[in-house]
Amino acid sequence: MMSSFAKPMTDGTARATRRPTRRKARGHVSGLGLLMMAPALIMLLAFFFTPVALTGVFAFTDLSTSTGIGRGTFVITPTDLRQLRDRGLTEDEALAISAATYSVDDAGLAAARAAGADAAFVDQIAERLTGESYEDQRDFERVLRDLPAAPRSPRAIKSAAEAFGQSVLNRRHETRDALAAQLDATAPDLSDAVRDMVLDASYTGAVFTTENFTRLATQPETGRLIANTALYVGATLSVFNVGLGLFLAIVLFYMPKPVTGFFSTVWLLPRITPVVLYTIMWKWFTWEDGFLPILAEQVGLPSFNYMKGSVVTAWMTMISVNGFIGASFGLILFSGALRAIPVQQLWASEVDGATRLQQVRRIILPQMRWPILFVTAYQTLSLLSSYEQIWLTTNGGPGKTTTVWALEAFKTALSNYSGNLEYGMGAAMALILVVVGLALSIIYLMIFKFGELVSRPKIEF
Amino acid sequence: MTILDKPVRLGLGAALLSCCAVSALAQDYTITVWSGGTGDDSNYRYDAIGMAAEILEREAEIRGEELNITVESQAWSGWDDFKQAFTLAAEAGNAPDILVSGHEDIGPWSEAGLIVPIEDYTFFDVWPLSSIYPNLIDVASYNGQIWGVPQDAEARVMYWSIPALEAIGWSAEEIESLPARVESGEFTLYDMLDAVKQMQDEGVIEAGMGFGPRVSNGPDYWQFYQSFGGEMADPETGKLVVDTEALTGMYQFFTDAAEMGVVSDTHLGTEWDSWHQNAASGNYGVWHGGTWHYAQWTNQFGLEDFFGTVQYTLIPAGDENGRANSITHPLVYLLTSAASEDEAMIAAELIAIASEPRINALHAVKSAHLGISEAETLVPIYADDRWLSAASERLAPHTNAIPNNSDFGTYWTAMFDGLEASWTGVTSVEDAVSEVEANVTQALGDDVIVR
Repeated sequence: MMSSFAKPMTDGTARATRRPTRRKARGHVSGLGLLMMAPALIMLLAFFFTPVALTGVFAFTDLSTSTGIGRGTFVITPTDLRQLRDRGLTEDEALAISAATYSVDDAGLAAARAAGADAAFVDQIAERLTGESYEDQRDFERVLRDLPAAPRSPRAIKSAAEAFGQSVLNRRHETRDALAAQLDATAPDLSDAVRDMVLDASYTGAVFTTENFTRLATQPETGRLIANTALYVGATLSVFNVGLGLFLAIVLFYMPKPVTGFFSTVWLLPRITPVVLYTIMWKWFTWEDGFLPILAEQVGLPSFNYMKGSVVTAWMTMISVNGFIGASFGLILFSGALRAIPVQQLWASEVDGATRLQQVRRIILPQMRWPILFVTAYQTLSLLSSYEQIWLTTNGGPGKTTTVWALEAFKTALSNYSGNLEYGMGAAMALILVVVGLALSIIYLMIFKFGELVSRPKIEF
Repeated sequence: MTILDKPVRLGLGAALLSCCAVSALAQDYTITVWSGGTGDDSNYRYDAIGMAAEILEREAEIRGEELNITVESQAWSGWDDFKQAFTLAAEAGNAPDILVSGHEDIGPWSEAGLIVPIEDYTFFDVWPLSSIYPNLIDVASYNGQIWGVPQDAEARVMYWSIPALEAIGWSAEEIESLPARVESGEFTLYDMLDAVKQMQDEGVIEAGMGFGPRVSNGPDYWQFYQSFGGEMADPETGKLVVDTEALTGMYQFFTDAAEMGVVSDTHLGTEWDSWHQNAASGNYGVWHGGTWHYAQWTNQFGLEDFFGTVQYTLIPAGDENGRANSITHPLVYLLTSAASEDEAMIAAELIAIASEPRINALHAVKSAHLGISEAETLVPIYADDRWLSAASERLAPHTNAIPNNSDFGTYWTAMFDGLEASWTGVTSVEDAVSEVEANVTQALGDDVIVR
């Protein structure tokens, strides 16, 4: 029996013998390979494609707190009737729909018995109230409660009352048909068009719409958000993630090894510190009575809450908070790339009398082009979608001056003071972020000439 | 043939039956309560439910039933995280049974089916619910149904530093008559700005500290909209109203205040603790907050002589269109649809008991919120509280509430965004107002009236 390990070997031999058609042979999908890849594929499906697909679907709905996330129910409320009057429902029709009559008759008594009301109670209703009718549910309930055999529980009284009632208002129905049947019983004279209009309006769940995108395209706030996001990503990327990261990597490259090790660890701290702890440290650092304001006071500079006290310092804080995390990423990557530069080139340049600056300009930077592009690309994408540190520090303030697209999407969909969470709108904003991210990825892949990177080496090893 | 003889079998049967009988009598319930916006002074928001459970258990015991109620409570200090947690938990099926939240949540949550009308589980014409002020019951109603039981009332107040007013030459009579002058509309918001500017110019109050408004979003800011004649909802149709003139007046007022240098243009977003500290230490000339802040300042922030150092009035009128006003923002006990029928019955009974004057007075006095019924004001601990009596008399009669409307959140968010944008100088007042108008009409269409 052939073990699965034998398979690649036979493949290898086959490839060697059939050299001209090698490309086709490589296209063969090995079962083991698929098995090994399965966890990654499942993860990709579960944590990337499904959320993106769901975001895509939700983006075209008006899903919000008031529609709920699940399937909606059907209920006609006084608010619906008020809104429908704007769309042509007449006063009489509204009155017919909202009218409630509770009449004690045989049908009602039978319904009450069927609903499981206490027999003695129903008998008493039959005996004392037959023929009576009431306009108001609360009045009827009060009369029922006065009966000696009335149950103690409000729920039991209410369900007994409902057996005699015909009100369609404020009654939740699982299906449109169920509500339609009730509506037909309450207001049989409605025309079909009006009836359908009422039933349509009674749906409490979310519906599909392109409204979110129209709103985003036309509201003036969108422009401000885009400008803020561009400033945030651009500044953090250029000053910290690439600029500072590269500067640190080069400085550390020229330092003795133990020093390099120590400083690399120190620069890693922002990245490995838990976000909440890290942001609290920034608060201690920048708030009134924090380190920076006290220091500023000592040297006679304006001393105030730097994190939220002015638009300029808020931006500086926000960019620094995120930048120091990104800088360590650049530092690691650039340090690795620097070590790959053949040290002989540097020695040779030193023999020629090159200064450090000349070495950096003529030897190091040209060879660092690829890692710099990579850090730029990777960090653009992660900065575009990051909001946690901003949320925990400036929270987009003062005013909305430091609010970026991702933070606004998060607040719209998941966190706001008035509690009216607009999931659909938030999803639309997130979808745009995904689309922008994908577009940028493609552009970066083209810049990197990704095809060349992954093509087979010209020399066979 | 059986192994056991008849008496033994009978005895076992009886024992088994009695076990069943006992277990049928003993009812165990776990009621979970989540309470938003709850700080150190407002523990009775959920502790009252615990006390009610004890009373209900004793009542059951007297009736010969065994009822065991475990109350599990969670307090949330903020609002954003609380509302997020509840809505997500409810969608995931993990919601608590009882919720303490602002009445404005009734609109969206009832439409989504996350809460159930509490009037289905309890009678509002029976004591103690029958004794609650009818206007508070209205605040807890939506679509013709009562969804919650108001837990407290409050008023939002303009506070004035008496020493600072004296330092700029106000006589005792002038300070004394200020509430009346504010109420009649004679003393406006702009008069206030002039006074705090004078305080700063004369060095009584530090620059930028003359006026200390609330530091974050909240119902307070709608008071300034009303000060300039704004109406939140049309009483006839119930539709939301965007009064552009009033919004302009309100935004302009805060922009002017920032330009005069009596408040910084980045004041929004200041930490609450530092605001409280400044308010309690008399660092602000004038500031506004809630009646309940009195409890925080006197208990936690070291304010000793409140009545000797602080004058309190309604929020003054802004111009001749508006009026001096105050907003009450009752929190309400809500029943969620996560509770089973039995649990909802128990929970509703607990809420009713917790609303009894003596228990509710504990919450009112400790947290400096106003009572919910006439009877509560007669409970000695409440009646003896100088601040509550004073606030009830001077402020409460002039309060109104924000509307229960599932779309109000959209309007609210847009209004506050506009305020922030114009206050910080990111946009002009006109642009901010037209942005609000555009956002709200775009989102709500015919359901909003623009004036």
